Amino acid sequence: MADPKRPRAAFAPWDRRELPGSFSVQETAKRVGHYKWIEMRLFEVLGGWVATVPEIDVKLRLGTHCYHHAWHSELWHKRLPELREMNPDKLALPPNDEMVAFVDALTEPEAPELTIEKLVGVYRVLIPHKIAAYTYHRNNTSTITDAPTIRSLDFALADEFEDWRDGEMLIQSLIETDEEVQRAADRAAHLEKLMLAAGGIAGPGTIGDAYAEPQPTEVTA
Amino acid sequence: MRKAHPVEDLARDERFVRVDIQDRISDPRSVKNSRMRTQARLTPDRPDSADAARALMHGIFVGEIQALEGAGRTCWDFDTGDGRDEAPFALKLDMARQCWDEARHCEISVKLSDWMGTEIGEFSEGAFLYAAACNPDPVLRLTGVNRALEGLAIDVFNTMREFGEIAGDPVLEFCEDWMLADEVTHVKMGSDWLRRLTADDPERRKNALEFQRVVDKIFSLGGFRSDEDDSPVKLARRFRELAGFDEDEIDEIADLASEALEEARTRQEAAAALATA
Repeated sequence: MADPKRPRAAFAPWDRRELPGSFSVQETAKRVGHYKWIEMRLFEVLGGWVATVPEIDVKLRLGTHCYHHAWHSELWHKRLPELREMNPDKLALPPNDEMVAFVDALTEPEAPELTIEKLVGVYRVLIPHKIAAYTYHRNNTSTITDAPTIRSLDFALADEFEDWRDGEMLIQSLIETDEEVQRAADRAAHLEKLMLAAGGIAGPGTIGDAYAEPQPTEVTA
Repeated sequence: MRKAHPVEDLARDERFVRVDIQDRISDPRSVKNSRMRTQARLTPDRPDSADAARALMHGIFVGEIQALEGAGRTCWDFDTGDGRDEAPFALKLDMARQCWDEARHCEISVKLSDWMGTEIGEFSEGAFLYAAACNPDPVLRLTGVNRALEGLAIDVFNTMREFGEIAGDPVLEFCEDWMLADEVTHVKMGSDWLRRLTADDPERRKNALEFQRVVDKIFSLGGFRSDEDDSPVKLARRFRELAGFDEDEIDEIADLASEALEEARTRQEAAAALATA
């Protein structure tokens, strides 16, 4: 082994983390508050739907996924005070009224024959939007200053991908006719329009602006 | 979606057959069956032990489904907050965790049912368990479900665990032991939330404990669960203590079970007399 007193760089040659990030503390807290709000709405409705779906495999998956999203909401709840927001409820808000309209529509189906509508809303619309928002946040925040948020985003994303796959496979297994294909497509289109109006789960700018001029990368000492 | 989901609207596939508990208890065939099937501890040397264990396993399975549905409804039915008709955020998180646990218990029960030679729908489903989860007061709901119903689950899982041990069935013993661990956690959740939410409201605590007594008496199933050594399901005192019950509370459940047994005998004798008249 080399001399233990020989100086080494603080960042190993393979450690490419950098200081710059796209979000201030305040902006991060705002986004995290929106995340907590949508995760809460999601775990609540998944729990409520359990009693309304007759398909036993779907029933059990909804119960499992209910906990995943409750845990995500807890992660965000705990992160808020670390971002100088000592009253987490103050920021656990929807980004706008359009997002409230989206959630109202998402949670509307109740009848036992509407399992396709319930699953499409969650697994073909909301969860893909959550994956997009979390990925954008993860890839644009400072890998050094905001490492705790990145850790939580990684945990949440791991669940989101697994749950999306579960849900999509359930949907595919439930759709057996052209009419059911259309039902799923209509439901997704209806909710996508509402999500578009909301601008994403964190409002406009949820996944940045693909038409914005590229900013030069900041170089810090 | 509505904020309350009545028991008659519980969604099931066509294999499930629901029977009202009163109909089941007062059914003359139940009287005949109960004479054939002696009220005795579930041991492998009982002539009906295989059928009794399968029936109990199916009962556990449908109970787990309803426990899952009840916990899920508590996530949805109440707004989040500290008001009397609201549920605190942390309570909802506990209920969501319970959803996951109950979903796993359903999965375990399906696998165990297959292992024991039965299948979904071979026995009927009583919905009284979910009915306790429909109380509009979150404290009463938690007390009825997490302390009374999940308390019964502790007794049942301990009985099945012991049955597996005596019968030399390591799969059954292994699974029941894991589920028992979860149920102790759920009952403790109920005990903790009861104390926390009623700390400044003795009247509400009194009502909640009264509701628990009613549910406990129903869940004693006419003496099926009691403190007697020879009852099919015996009160699991040690695990109940771990879950936050004190000795007086366990004694009270034992007394309620004795009352339930006496009442069931009276009802069954009356039904038998009516059937032979």
